[in-house]
Amino acid sequence: MRKLSDFFGLALRSIIHRRMRSWLTVIGVFIGITAVVALISIGLGFDKTIKEQVSGVFGVDTFVVMDESTFGPGAHTGGAAEYALDLDLLKSIEGVKVAAAVRERTGFVQGQPDAEGEVLQGFLPVSGLSPELMTEFESFTGELEVLPGGRLFEPGDVEVAVLDFEISQRLGVDVGDTILVAGDGDAELNLTIIGIMAPPEEAEASGPGFGMQFSGGSDGDTISVPYETMDLLWGPADDVLVTLVRTEPGYDVDEVADAAEEALNARGSDISAVTYTDISDAIGTMTSTISAFLAGIAGISLLVGGVGVMNTMFTSVLERTKEIGVMKAVGAKNSHVWTIFLIESGLMGFVGGVVGTVLGLGLSIFASSLIGRLFSIDMVVVASPILIAATLFGSFALGAFAGLWPAWRASKLPVVDALRYE
Amino acid sequence: MPLMSMKGVTKDYKLGKTLVRALRGLDMEIAKGEVVAIMGPSGSGKSTLMHILGALDVPTNGTAMIDGSDLKDLKESQLVTFRGQKVGFVFQTFNLVQTLSAVQNVELPMIFQGIGKSERHRKAKELLTRVGLAERMKHKPNELSGGERQRVAVARSLANDPEIILADEPTGNLDTESGQSILELLKQLSTKDGKTVILVSHDPEAAAIADRIIRLRDGCVSSDQPMSVGDDHA
Repeated sequence: MRKLSDFFGLALRSIIHRRMRSWLTVIGVFIGITAVVALISIGLGFDKTIKEQVSGVFGVDTFVVMDESTFGPGAHTGGAAEYALDLDLLKSIEGVKVAAAVRERTGFVQGQPDAEGEVLQGFLPVSGLSPELMTEFESFTGELEVLPGGRLFEPGDVEVAVLDFEISQRLGVDVGDTILVAGDGDAELNLTIIGIMAPPEEAEASGPGFGMQFSGGSDGDTISVPYETMDLLWGPADDVLVTLVRTEPGYDVDEVADAAEEALNARGSDISAVTYTDISDAIGTMTSTISAFLAGIAGISLLVGGVGVMNTMFTSVLERTKEIGVMKAVGAKNSHVWTIFLIESGLMGFVGGVVGTVLGLGLSIFASSLIGRLFSIDMVVVASPILIAATLFGSFALGAFAGLWPAWRASKLPVVDALRYE
Repeated sequence: MPLMSMKGVTKDYKLGKTLVRALRGLDMEIAKGEVVAIMGPSGSGKSTLMHILGALDVPTNGTAMIDGSDLKDLKESQLVTFRGQKVGFVFQTFNLVQTLSAVQNVELPMIFQGIGKSERHRKAKELLTRVGLAERMKHKPNELSGGERQRVAVARSLANDPEIILADEPTGNLDTESGQSILELLKQLSTKDGKTVILVSHDPEAAAIADRIIRLRDGCVSSDQPMSVGDDHA
């Protein structure tokens, strides 16, 4: 189309001629575009960051068994609800390589007599931990450290315990000593202390947002025993907080999780098996809802920008009435006039789009680094090519759309009236 | 066959709520290559007639034949093409596009006819040289004098090589000297190029270059006579 490029030239000259007004119109557009681009980019970056963090913890072959009510909308990360679990059944499901569970009770505990012969005793939280938890799922537990001279559980351990530092002090016990733990009925065991957890360092940054709390008592008064030992004290598990499962290579983690969920629920548990896909879907839904909401608000300013373009174009049509008459007198068709005005308004939208996209991306980079520093995480910056292309096209379309009516009015001006216009 | 012929042409239009009967049964003919001055007091229908002669408007009643076509038979888009190719306009107030340079203004009618850039540019420069503005081509209208602007307008009217040049009070906004040179330019278009030039004017000086003077009164032709010495001071 040879004419089209000439019409571009005509439109551009008219925009440049009305420099001040054109710029103000463009500013109206790019403020809206900047807000939309920045918010969407930040939203995408946030989504990607969280998903990367989650996948760093989860890997692609792991799922978590939780109480049905724990995962999903309204879930809270604090206290997970307890559920019944047949760990052996879970381990026997095809595709399951390792499964490790955490259960917790409050039990009667009695320490060693101190120098004056006094014996400290009381009800304390007792956690049962699968030994595999420490060996296979370090990304979940973080690095567990015992004081020198002690160790963590190993397969085969039964009548042993690992104590939090604080409670070991209060009970006055050390590695090698025994404590008495009483379970249901007459069940009671003398457990040999094999390790004492290192006291938590002050203000240590706890992993990137996904550190799981395994012991209910976060005050450092938990007594941890092997998972099997809990059976001897309290019978079959109906007090499990969380179970971690790793699948065999070559199995689809979502399929294994579904099979596990079905088998366990058939056995009377009330659980969901949550995979990386489930979590990232949930996060995706959440972040995209937030992004869409914010972008919607930003869209209002875009609308205002569009109205600005329309206003400018109407003014332009009015003050160029005579020029339109002249163009028609020298052979311009209605469609020519219409096209020239549409290009003019579209161009203003497009320039607004270019400026807005650049500023929006800049703003999102700035905001990402700010958020990253605030929460000490590496925020991913996403400059989506689709978003950029859509914005540039959309801003041209916005401008052109806003110009439709004024352009139509311009093209329909009767030539004789337009020429007479002063 | 005459180039233009008007038979029983009437034109009514509404101005607010009042009906204005601008032309009331007008008959006239103009032959190819003539220079015709259309004169008359204001309100006599000069401008309306010029709009019809230039295919900017169509008669309410009667026949307006221009170069073999009855304006009534032409659709809006055909009228556009018709005036784009057959008519060149020169206006009292020049009506140049302020955002375009002299040469771009001359190119404008050619853009709408879809003529290529280089061809357009060459022709525009040629026309501006012909009207004596070879040195001022890049200037915007507001950097040119009134006389120069009207020369640009004359060059623009010639852009698509039309048969008819319609000049509406072409000297109305000019001083005597530049007015005179514009009139000479218009006269040449007839004598040298064989174009039909129609001048609408109050100005006896303008009428002086005409072969024939048509006078209008109340929307009708009141007199139609060849130019003679006696008319000079009419």
